Amino acid sequence: MSEMLNFKNVELFYDHVYALKGVSMHLSQGETVALIGSNGAGKSSILRAITGLAKIKSGSIEFMGQRLDGRTASDIVGMGIAMVPEGRRVFPFMSVRDNLMMGAFTRSDKKGIADTLDSVLERFPRLKERYSQAAGTLSGGEQQMMVIGRALMAKPKLLLLDEPSLGIAPKLVQDIARSIVAINRDEGVSVLLVEQNSRMALSISHRAYALTTGSVVIEGNSKELLHDDRIKAAYLGGEIEGAA
Amino acid sequence: MEQILANGVYLGSQYAMIALGLTLIFALMNVLNFAHGQMYVLGGFVTYTFYGQLGLPFVVALLISCVTLAILGALIEKFLFAPVIKRSARDESTMLLAAGIAFLLDAIILLVFGEKQRGVPKIVNGVFNWDFRLIMPYDRILICVLAILSIVGFIAFMQYSKTGRALRALAQDRVAAQLMGVNVDRYSMIGFALGAMLAGLVGGLLVTITGINLGMGGPTSIKAFMMVMIGGAGVISGAIAGGIILGFLEAIGLAVLSQYGDITYLLIFISLMIFLAIRPQGLMGKPWG
Repeated sequence: MSEMLNFKNVELFYDHVYALKGVSMHLSQGETVALIGSNGAGKSSILRAITGLAKIKSGSIEFMGQRLDGRTASDIVGMGIAMVPEGRRVFPFMSVRDNLMMGAFTRSDKKGIADTLDSVLERFPRLKERYSQAAGTLSGGEQQMMVIGRALMAKPKLLLLDEPSLGIAPKLVQDIARSIVAINRDEGVSVLLVEQNSRMALSISHRAYALTTGSVVIEGNSKELLHDDRIKAAYLGGEIEGAA
Repeated sequence: MEQILANGVYLGSQYAMIALGLTLIFALMNVLNFAHGQMYVLGGFVTYTFYGQLGLPFVVALLISCVTLAILGALIEKFLFAPVIKRSARDESTMLLAAGIAFLLDAIILLVFGEKQRGVPKIVNGVFNWDFRLIMPYDRILICVLAILSIVGFIAFMQYSKTGRALRALAQDRVAAQLMGVNVDRYSMIGFALGAMLAGLVGGLLVTITGINLGMGGPTSIKAFMMVMIGGAGVISGAIAGGIILGFLEAIGLAVLSQYGDITYLLIFISLMIFLAIRPQGLMGKPWG
């Protein structure tokens, strides 16, 4: 497996407060990697650094052998990285169709866009029913499916997901988890998943990094981490043995 | 009655175009463009120069007005608004800048075109007369049709073109639009240029009816802000509704109230204050849809 994304000693701070203190991590082609940790651990900062929304202070970020740091957000989408932002961020007064089409903004191959649109609607049939409805009128779960679909419209090589389970009904969280697995498996899209729902994140990812206050503290195979005592205590909320 | 309706549609269509430009700029950049009226006046003077003075065909002069204002709008955004927005998070900064640009444009117009009222030859002659129930000169009808076509064209552009969709996305969620790959700097500039172009287009259309003079800028800005407040800031449908409502109020006022003196706008302002006290977000207040 070739390395697709490479973080080397990345430091980032907002207003002189450290958000990332020398984070190194990597993601290989075809992998699903989870970043777990509590609020403020720096998970979202990693995604913001990748997408160019936040400028890093030192270190480097490479994607398919090219430097990402220093590029603008719009360039980075064109390189094949699509992001599903925290809080979904739908375009509330635009139709589902227009929202999806915005995902394909950097593409110009009409035929290819139409094919991707078909496959997204096939993956999320609910979106077909809501096709001309304003996105703001959709339920939280439907909006989450829509923004995942919107990101897929860019035909990304790497999909970034920021808290996809946040504010979603528990039953739909499973649906969304299943679609993430399916997207990774069927379309060969690599996935970087940021989640506070550590159990969900670990059960659908290959590897994971656990962060605390801007540093990676534990990394490893997700299946093993699910049973790691340190992870259980710190991230899985010390629940009853065997519930996993 | 028919006369009032026709006048209302005529005024409303012009006003709606002015309000559309203003609301587009507001929705995209959160900038209150106090210089909108001056941009309108400049558009009128450009058409006056190329059609009235140099004798080019009206349509060509109108296009020159649009292009001039679009370029001016793009330059103003790139070299004035964009740097100020980058450096200052306070809304007052762009408001002061916009007010300053209004004075600057006033001064430039005064220097280049002088302070006199200017008119141009009629674009078509004759008057439509339906049994004296409805009297309207053909040139007004033509201008009204052109204005409506422009509005329809603008809405179609915003609704169905890729650029229009990106502008709407940018107005609704800046960060998400960036994540889709929209270059915020470039599209802010395009949006501002479009808004300025609309102002220039109305100026070029109306110079054939009312003529143009330096003093029309300020009052036009005020009317534009009223329309946007009536309809709700930042919404296409709101700008159109506001424009048509103000157009009709003015048409009705001129027909019904003129015997009591010039009180139409006094009453409009009073009603607007009461209306805004009850519904501060305007009729359709929500971000750009």
